[in-house]
Amino acid sequence: MATGLRLVTERVGDGAGQPVLDTDNGEEQVHVQSGVSIVIGNRPPESPGTLYISTKQVVWLSDTDRGRGYAVGFLAVSLHAVSRDPEAYPSPCIYTQIENGVEEDESEDSDAESNETLDLSKVTEMRLVPSDPDQLDTLFEIFCECAELNPEPVDEDEGEHNWVFSADQLETGGTDVEESEYPLHSIGCSNGDPDLAHTVLQLQINDQRFEDAEEMDSDNNKGHN
Amino acid sequence: MVILFYFQYILFFEAISLLNFLFFSYFKDLVGREVTVELKNDLAIRGTLHSVDQYLNIKLENTRVVDQENYPHMLSVRNCFIRGSVVRYVQLPPEGVDIELLHDATRREARGG
Repeated sequence: MATGLRLVTERVGDGAGQPVLDTDNGEEQVHVQSGVSIVIGNRPPESPGTLYISTKQVVWLSDTDRGRGYAVGFLAVSLHAVSRDPEAYPSPCIYTQIENGVEEDESEDSDAESNETLDLSKVTEMRLVPSDPDQLDTLFEIFCECAELNPEPVDEDEGEHNWVFSADQLETGGTDVEESEYPLHSIGCSNGDPDLAHTVLQLQINDQRFEDAEEMDSDNNKGHN
Repeated sequence: MVILFYFQYILFFEAISLLNFLFFSYFKDLVGREVTVELKNDLAIRGTLHSVDQYLNIKLENTRVVDQENYPHMLSVRNCFIRGSVVRYVQLPPEGVDIELLHDATRREARGG
């Protein structure tokens, strides 16, 4: 399960410093955007700060407090969008939803905000407000590119994505398919439904094989009669 | 029956790459259409399908939230990117469900393999 937002207290370099990247595992910095405020849940914005986007995560570091920063991996960013309507939020921003692995009914917003110490594990929304709104579209595209760099990890046990069926699973008649977690298999009755395979199978046989065979059978029967 | 089992074997064998291919190419054909994407957290977003990638990440444009009362903050979002792994359903336009196309794709894949 993807972990949600986490606190960043370490950084490297002089001055305001930079986030610690996991370069051993191929993490690279993609984009740096200065002058970005961060809004966690419904809390007031924190600023000023700098946004660091790497191939694995989004990191926001306070410009003034070296011990203050937040990070979220792209695996946990379930949705991102450009929000420009002042009624939704006063400043144009990148709006993100964060998957934190906490059940819905356990994570009521009031819990996260009433406590003096913010429980980051319950945060489900984050807004990034650049001082220059013209950067929003660029940031959005960078988010898209990096999200695509971070597909769901392959389950080691199955060796394939869990929505791809092995031959064994399909031969049991497709019940595994119905129970699988794959989110899109129920789109329309024809999509991903194992019955589709049978339908097509039958079409092929009806079209190409059985017609001739039946004719031959009836011919043979006539011959015997 | 021999023929039947033979084809079943081919189809099962092909299914691993076939389904991946089917979903991806099928959604690509829906680009430009209105779809509704329902997330696992119950949020449903309607919009024009802008693009879909091999991981079934979905980009929508001209979006609007279906249940605006419960998600007022999403009202203004014009375009958004939804991670494929958090999608529960995609509701398609009726005219976008082309079963013949799926049949053809399945046949081609089964023969080509």
